[in-house]
Amino acid sequence: MKKLISVLLILCACLLLLTACQSKEPAAPAATEQPAAETEAEQPAAETEAAQPAAEKADNKVLNVMNYGEYIDEQVLRNFEKEYGVKINYAFNDTPEAMYTKLQTGVSYDVVVTSDYMIDRLIREKKVQKLDKNVVTNLDQLSDQVKNLYFDPQNEYSAPYLWQNVVLCYDTTKIDPAKVEEKGWAILLDPELDGHVFIYDSPRDIFMMALKNLGYSMNTESSDELQAAFDWLVKMNQTIHPDFVGDEMIDGMAHGEKWMAMMYSGDAVYASTENEKLTICAPAEGTNIAYDNMFIPSNAGNPEMANKFINYVLDYENAMMITVETCYSTPNAKVAADVTAEGGEFEGIEWYIPRTGYEKDEIYTDNDLLRTETPEMLMKVKLQK
Amino acid sequence: MKSFFRMSYPYILWIGIFIVAPMLMILLYAVTRTGNNTLTFQFTLDNFSRFISDPDFIRVLLTSLRIALLTTVFCLLIGYPAALFIANLSDRTQTLVTLLITLPMWINMLLKTYAWRGILLNFDFSSELKVFIGMVYDFLPFMIIQIHTAIAKLDPNLLVAAHDLGANNVRSFLKVTLPLSVPGIISGITLVFLPAVSSFVIPKMLGGGNYVLIGNLIEIYFQQTGDWNFGSAISLIMALIIITAMWATKKLDRSAQED
Repeated sequence: MKKLISVLLILCACLLLLTACQSKEPAAPAATEQPAAETEAEQPAAETEAAQPAAEKADNKVLNVMNYGEYIDEQVLRNFEKEYGVKINYAFNDTPEAMYTKLQTGVSYDVVVTSDYMIDRLIREKKVQKLDKNVVTNLDQLSDQVKNLYFDPQNEYSAPYLWQNVVLCYDTTKIDPAKVEEKGWAILLDPELDGHVFIYDSPRDIFMMALKNLGYSMNTESSDELQAAFDWLVKMNQTIHPDFVGDEMIDGMAHGEKWMAMMYSGDAVYASTENEKLTICAPAEGTNIAYDNMFIPSNAGNPEMANKFINYVLDYENAMMITVETCYSTPNAKVAADVTAEGGEFEGIEWYIPRTGYEKDEIYTDNDLLRTETPEMLMKVKLQK
Repeated sequence: MKSFFRMSYPYILWIGIFIVAPMLMILLYAVTRTGNNTLTFQFTLDNFSRFISDPDFIRVLLTSLRIALLTTVFCLLIGYPAALFIANLSDRTQTLVTLLITLPMWINMLLKTYAWRGILLNFDFSSELKVFIGMVYDFLPFMIIQIHTAIAKLDPNLLVAAHDLGANNVRSFLKVTLPLSVPGIISGITLVFLPAVSSFVIPKMLGGGNYVLIGNLIEIYFQQTGDWNFGSAISLIMALIIITAMWATKKLDRSAQED
């Protein structure tokens, strides 16, 4: 027993020494704006994880890409690999918040796709590097609607990837469209829908619909308004007992598992092409317009290739493949025109191009209150049954 | 003996880097505030008082313990007779049946849970029942294998002796087989209860995302709010509960062996 204790003690001592040594080393480039306590504590884990890509990076043969799930045509990746002779490591995340956590651990990614308000935060925290406009020339091909947005007014740091609205997608044989149009988000307080609804499990989007229904801004900085939204959501949870899920709702809606889903317009377009009973509605109280952009983190190991990749993705042919596969709206103006034209893939599909220019719609911005409070509040909503 | 001990160095190193060091970090995170710098740690117990003072968190903790306990009891109720049955088969059939039981364990748990999601879709069960079914299914093999190993090791002569001394089947089971299989039961309980109490994929997938257990709680603080300090405090509280549970089962094991 004594021996055991001494072994453990020695081990602890070694570890302390190890961590002490490592904290003396220059911090990783990503760490500049990080709280230093986190930096030190994360060093060992981060270093072991980052070690492999770092070794391979030397010859610029690897590109680490991170994106949302079900959000690309994999063939685009394969083609890029062949054309440029690199290997792409492709990683997924569910939410911008989860992506942020992954970046925080110090693992180096070269290209990341994430949402508007998260890019806003990352640019302010100086975790994004500028695009090389000599390489990313395809920005010219983009539609004006997706360029020069508030978080990146000159598109210096990020390039548009896809864009969308949060919408309600529902089965017209189960729910009367007139009722949905009339009630808007409040249809989710209708007891008839009990057990028949999917809701995308993303705190920002869920609070967005409550705030909009109550007539507030989705970017509220008032804790009273947020509390009112919380009460609205508790009532919703107690009335319709929705399933809070991720991408599994796409197939779920296509197969008629539920009557209604709060989902992203691209997924809704896909589901409604698979299941003719489905229709899409963006409530009159307003919804969000979400822009997902690509950026290069400041600690990227292969920024040169990252710029090439971003330009490649924006190109007509590849943008076409991506939009056709995902059903999300493309930023490439010519592609958008072609797929909605006669004989195009999305001809006559109303919600392929998101709603813009409607005064009650908003774009997410980042603020402390929403960032820190909404995940915990959503968890507490789920506890109230 | 000494030279053998040396061979375990790589393993000790492994434990040190991948188990002990992360545990120490969790401890450090749990007792400090967010956003302090390397040299001036601001130690605090706020993270713990925040957990204890919020009835919602306590409710999540109790739900987790309840469902883990229920899962363990059910696994034991189904697993023990199954293990006993298997141990009484011929050697060759035993190997085959054991293989059949371990076979599902070769499949990724996520896939199995996803399949269950599809099956349970057709039933109008509560989310708790769905999560419970998923957990019992996933953890049952651990229980059966542990108990089966203990029973299979029993010397058959003990049973013969019991019968010689006039014990009937029930009595010899109660006096010989059951007490001697207690170590198997204990390790089965440990292997089922511990993962069950911290499971977060099963409640997430089968509970419709609407059923929060302590594992999901930890995930929220690490993944979404980025409050690693509070997340660590919850992890630590759970670790303490698990260690207590292990200590209690060990104690039970020892007192059972002394009887």
